[in-house]
Amino acid sequence: MNLALAELSRLVARRFVLLMTVLLVAAFGVTVATTVASSHRPTAAEVAEAEREVLFAQARIEQIREDCERQRVSPEFCEVYTEREPRIEDYLYGVFVFSQEITDLVYFMIAFLALFAFLVAASFVGAELTSGGMTNLLLWRPQRVTVLGTKLATVLAAVVALSAVASVLYIGAFYAIAEVGGVPGVLDGEFWRDLVLTVGRDLGMVAFAAAIGFGAATLGRHTAAALGLVATYAIVWEIGARIVFEVIEAATPDRYMLSSYIGAWMAGEVSFWDQYGDRQYELTWMHAAAVFAVALAAIVGGAFATFRHRDLA
Amino acid sequence: MVWPMTAVIQIEGLRKTFRTLRGGARVALNGFDMTVEAGQIHGFLGPNGSGKTTTLRTLLGLVRADDGRMSILGRTAPEALPEVAPQVGAIVESPQFFGNFSGRRTLRLLARAGGVPAERVEAVLTQVGLRDRGDERVKGYSLGMKQRLAVASALLKQPELLILDEPANGLDPAGIREMRDLMRQLSSAGITVLVSSHILAEIQLICDHVTIVSRGQRVATGPVAAVLSGFDKGEYRVRVGDLDRAADVLGTAGLPVTKNEDHLVVADVGDPAWITEQLGRRGMWVSELTPLTPDLESVFLQLTATTPDPGAPKQVDEAIQPGTIDLGVQS
Ligand SMILES: Nc1ncnc2c1ncn2[C@@H]1O[C@H](COP(=O)(O)OP(=O)(O)OP(=O)(O)O)[C@@H](O)[C@H]1O
Ligand SMILES: [Mg+2]
Repeated sequence: MNLALAELSRLVARRFVLLMTVLLVAAFGVTVATTVASSHRPTAAEVAEAEREVLFAQARIEQIREDCERQRVSPEFCEVYTEREPRIEDYLYGVFVFSQEITDLVYFMIAFLALFAFLVAASFVGAELTSGGMTNLLLWRPQRVTVLGTKLATVLAAVVALSAVASVLYIGAFYAIAEVGGVPGVLDGEFWRDLVLTVGRDLGMVAFAAAIGFGAATLGRHTAAALGLVATYAIVWEIGARIVFEVIEAATPDRYMLSSYIGAWMAGEVSFWDQYGDRQYELTWMHAAAVFAVALAAIVGGAFATFRHRDLA
Repeated sequence: MVWPMTAVIQIEGLRKTFRTLRGGARVALNGFDMTVEAGQIHGFLGPNGSGKTTTLRTLLGLVRADDGRMSILGRTAPEALPEVAPQVGAIVESPQFFGNFSGRRTLRLLARAGGVPAERVEAVLTQVGLRDRGDERVKGYSLGMKQRLAVASALLKQPELLILDEPANGLDPAGIREMRDLMRQLSSAGITVLVSSHILAEIQLICDHVTIVSRGQRVATGPVAAVLSGFDKGEYRVRVGDLDRAADVLGTAGLPVTKNEDHLVVADVGDPAWITEQLGRRGMWVSELTPLTPDLESVFLQLTATTPDPGAPKQVDEAIQPGTIDLGVQS
């Protein structure tokens, strides 16, 4: 516990962490500001106009459904074929609609937080390995796994806690914008349940990014090793191998890409078409969890295994 | 022999070869032995690259040995290090501290991580003379101040054994003297000190025992006086009016005499009074008769064969390869 507290003060005292936090706040600020600037509270006239358009759309959809059923296709097909019930928010222009836009905004925030977590975790261990700070600590506590483990646990807890707070503030800010200068939209139980699940999974994403950054920097004894790993993976696999798959006409190249699983994890479920466009398959967050577990075992497990026996300068 | 030993530090047959990814290999320790008994101030000497730091790193669990065994405070190292760590204070080759923290904060964090009461921080800061600069960032410290902070960190735990790798590195004359006093003071409080240094005059002043290493092997060890006496050839410097005649007289008596510009060096002298008597009897009056006891520096240079050769700078690995010449190692 004392070790963890000591690590925590070391973490928050890092200039880099401070800089990253400032950037994070700035990015959020810009997002919030542009949303505020591009949204307004709908006037009574706009609402009336939108209501009229909803009625019009409902009539149009009803027409399509009737056409569909007349052609004697199954009613389920027609249900899917027709669009969902039109809502008044769909016809309010230049108005921020919380229920419709928050999910994408959360994805954006998480991408940022994951990047933040990755860099902070990688530099936290990388800088100490290169500066000899780790050696110092090990003279005090000659238990390598404990020392490294505490470091990892501290940085994970810190980035997840920060992300949780940031998520609440971020979502709260947009909710406030919607209340004051936009419309909240339909916020039923299902909406909130989905949002909470999304945020929960996204905190997992942040922890995953931090752990991979930490593990790669430990394996390579340097912060830059983590960046190198990501760059190499992206170029060799996500781009290079994708081209090869295309050339050899592999059926389901997306199945082999980490990016697909990241997408599946963030959204809960993503479907891909195979190469010939005639079969669809789904990747769910559970598939993603399995893939993440393998990546963590390889990189973080490998980092701990080598760190136990390595010669430290 | 019972293992682990009762000695505070016992190292036997330690081997370490550093290998690089490109397949290079550098032998750092080649069957090194060392014994440090309780209460000693033990000097650890050797030319650059002879393996001192590697020995200490290995002993403290930072480097894995290829072979050999070690014990520290009677426990097997590195396995028992976690248990003995609270009693061992160590600095290994100018430790690096986190530049953004003040000296005081650095020590507080270490104290916290090691379960040491916070009052110790003020005590050690005062002890190393950093009390008034303790709130400044380490980044802004001078070399000697960083070194003092390192020593403070080693003292924090009130260790039974203090391991200092070149603690005088960067210290000013006053700092060196304070370090000397500090070590004496710690030693009289019963703490065992192992100190590596290149300042041999300093080592000769502080240490009661030494171990000298060359190319990863021990070439001499024992009480300082004993190591020095092994190189005492009973030489005397003799200054007298007529050098040639004096050299003749002493030479005929069977003593090896070397004639220098203004004095003679006579070896194998049993009783110096004999020289005065022999020369005085022939009307030559001795104006100086000084015993030439070897100092640690000259012994070190001889033992490691690193005596400088004017015009041909010695390269770092030209030190003696033990075993190639019989050096008459004292144990
Ligand atoms: N991490 C390492 N990788 C490769 N070789 C190393 C490493 N550490 C030490 N060595 C080599 O091992 C040998 C012993 O080095 P060591 O640092 O122990 O010497 P030293 O006695 O402390 O020297 P100095 O008096 O200069 O501090 C040297 O030849 C050195 O180059
Ligand atoms: Mg050294």
